[in-house]
Amino acid sequence: MTIDELSASLADAHRDRTPVTIVGGDTLRGMGRPPLADAIPLSVRGLDAIVEDAPADLTIAVQGGVTLRALAQTLARHGTQVPFDAPLPGEATVGGTLAAGWLGPRRHLYGRPRDVAIGSTIVLADGTVARAGGMVVKNVSGYDMSRLYIGSFGTLGVLARINLKTIAAPERTRLFAIRLPEHTRARAFAVLASLRVVPAAAWWVQGYKAQIDGDDGAEGRMLVFLECSDAVLEGATRELRSALGRAGVPETRVIDTGTRESFERAIDAYVANVGERSITYRMHGFVDEAEARALGAIALARQFELRADTIVDAMNGDVILRVSDLDARALGAKIEMFDDALHDLAPSAFVIAGAHPSRALLQVWGAAPAALERMRALKARFDPHGILNPGRFVGGL
Amino acid sequence: MLHERLIDALGADAVKTAPEDLAVYAFDAYTTGRLPAAVVLPRSTQEVSAAVRIARDCGEPIVPRGAGTGLCGGAVPTEGGVVISFARMNRVLAFDPARRRARVQPGLINLDLSRHVAASGLFYAPDPSSQKISTIGGNVATNAGGPHCLSYGTTVNHVLGLEVVDERGDVFHTDVDELGYDLTAALVGSEGTLGIVTAAWVRLMRVPEAVRVWLATFPDVESASDAVSAIVAAGIVPTALEMMDRIAAQAVEAAFHAGYPTDCGAVLLIENAGFEDDMNACESALARIARERGATSWRTARTQAERDALWAGRKGAAGAMGRISPNYYLQDVCVRRSTLPKALHAVDEIARTYGITVANVFHAGDGNLHPMLCYDKRDRTQVQAVIESGNEILRAAIALGGTVSGEHGIGFEKREAMTEVYSTADLATMARVRDVFDPARALNPEKIFPSGAACPEVKPQRP
Repeated sequence: MTIDELSASLADAHRDRTPVTIVGGDTLRGMGRPPLADAIPLSVRGLDAIVEDAPADLTIAVQGGVTLRALAQTLARHGTQVPFDAPLPGEATVGGTLAAGWLGPRRHLYGRPRDVAIGSTIVLADGTVARAGGMVVKNVSGYDMSRLYIGSFGTLGVLARINLKTIAAPERTRLFAIRLPEHTRARAFAVLASLRVVPAAAWWVQGYKAQIDGDDGAEGRMLVFLECSDAVLEGATRELRSALGRAGVPETRVIDTGTRESFERAIDAYVANVGERSITYRMHGFVDEAEARALGAIALARQFELRADTIVDAMNGDVILRVSDLDARALGAKIEMFDDALHDLAPSAFVIAGAHPSRALLQVWGAAPAALERMRALKARFDPHGILNPGRFVGGL
Repeated sequence: MLHERLIDALGADAVKTAPEDLAVYAFDAYTTGRLPAAVVLPRSTQEVSAAVRIARDCGEPIVPRGAGTGLCGGAVPTEGGVVISFARMNRVLAFDPARRRARVQPGLINLDLSRHVAASGLFYAPDPSSQKISTIGGNVATNAGGPHCLSYGTTVNHVLGLEVVDERGDVFHTDVDELGYDLTAALVGSEGTLGIVTAAWVRLMRVPEAVRVWLATFPDVESASDAVSAIVAAGIVPTALEMMDRIAAQAVEAAFHAGYPTDCGAVLLIENAGFEDDMNACESALARIARERGATSWRTARTQAERDALWAGRKGAAGAMGRISPNYYLQDVCVRRSTLPKALHAVDEIARTYGITVANVFHAGDGNLHPMLCYDKRDRTQVQAVIESGNEILRAAIALGGTVSGEHGIGFEKREAMTEVYSTADLATMARVRDVFDPARALNPEKIFPSGAACPEVKPQRP
């Protein structure tokens, strides 16, 4: 597929007012409202060229259908990375990851995906091909269209090409596997925020035994990833261990092999379903409220006699909550009421995974954004016939 | 009518109407525009709304203005209108040290924010050289950079949400953590053409535990820029990587006695912040590359006072140019970092061709050039030569895959150059955003977009 072909397909759909569903690696298919029955799938996976690899500039330009794995492998040759940290990188595409507004666990350290986007080529609903930004790392020539498309869920246009800033990969990574008894949890969270060497990622996990390393008994476990130079690593390790020790944590295991794989498995878990028996929510908020947010959600799941598996991002405050039941019917009987109750507790909770048929009945995006009316006007100006992913995004955008 | 209604709504002390008062607002730090019909100095978001409503009722466009330190006319009226100055909306509204964020009014001076939060071990990272006087609102409007955005990113990476008065005078809010379209990103860098920012939530960063500043001298600008490209290619991104050529260094030394050598062709000012344990390895890697690329000396700033002096000199460099030239034109272009040697060479050639003295002091690590073209505005031949060579530099940057503004913005001064970087379709796509937020083109008209004659497709859509 070429960008011209994509443009021609969209121009046709625009003229005929045919709704289209934009498909990348289909790894985040659990996000958003289901596509309309009559929407034509339009796959962007064929746009899979690395357009320009510019290691001497610490930049790279790729087409939207390039997988995260292909991007990472290209960058690894230069010792660089783009830390998108989205699930299933072997299938997930750069365009889809950005369109879905995916936020990874290392963003407190490296910035959001939008913050490494320096340019783009978009194909609009009417087939218009438009560029924004460029391959330079600083640019204030007109509006920052690239960031506007990121997180727009394919409803403003299709990301055909994206230009990215890359960053040097860390010299060393180290994983700390920590058993986290309940009485130590709050202090362990507080400790992480004040460390001299801020962890690249830190998760408090309950459940997800098939996906995420470590054994938590009934109490939960913490996984902490350090990324730093060789010179800093040992000092940071000592500091982390002693701080957690003071917080009452009984054991901190240091793992130096396979840490990258452990890290990726944990991110894959964000969207891991239990057959058709689970729905996974994501809740954002302040780090200092994350523990309470997770505990509230877990308690609620218990009330509904749903199994809860949780991942709490201790650096960014995200809470991932997967609720499941013995079979699809049992889940179906409760999930709508649970969904209402969860949104009373966390209005902005949104669904990121779950193949259960009743997903269509849930408030999959949570609360609408404050400036929804303006977003609707923008949508109308960019896609007047509403052909791009109609009805799928927040507030019907 | 306009004056009376503004005075009624905001009070006589908040409205300027006398020609001698208005004259000040026809300028920024470089360009000259037209006199506004009135200037208002609101104290609150409500007063901003009121001023917008009255201006629109009276058919006047609106030009928001921070400290007026821009160089491209972004804050200068081109067709009368009401200038909204944020000089009185300059407070920190909320500061949450635990969550490392602050809510500020747009008229707050950039450096005052960092001072306000310093006792908590925090700082606000974007640091344009104008930070002693430029405001957060102006910084948001231009997505301002500065030396340290090399590693920390420009203003857009540090804005968490905005309160905005729209073209009708209504207030709306954006929040980067909300789902939906990233209106925050659309507004940052939009130079006041999509809305008027009346408050911003900004991210604060922890002051790093260790900071080192080094100076490397080179025989010429080419070898210094070669070293910069090599540093970036090695994957090293220090917190700041700035270059100054001999002319600039001499001007800075004459003005500030900051400690820059004046007997070399070019000097690199390199700062790295982070962990003490990393500093020696970082220094040896940087120094090795510098030497391989022809550095003639390498020096570490030993004390805080020494570092502060070097930075004061760097940030005051533009002002120091007054020592060597009655006037100068500060160009702002950004190129790929690997093309820095070529870009500097092109600037030098252009200056030679037009017989202009050029001084370079710029954000080398970002590929963001700031050639200062020296001239005397009383000499019309020189003025013409500067205009032409400034345009040539834009074209040279574009030819190298660069852009026409790295951090200063487009304003009215560079808007015709937009057609050289972007296609009509590219610009028309941006104009769709404008259609939604400012259909009547009442907010800062004649900015960013090329004039209608040059690009008819981006004229407002009549529904």
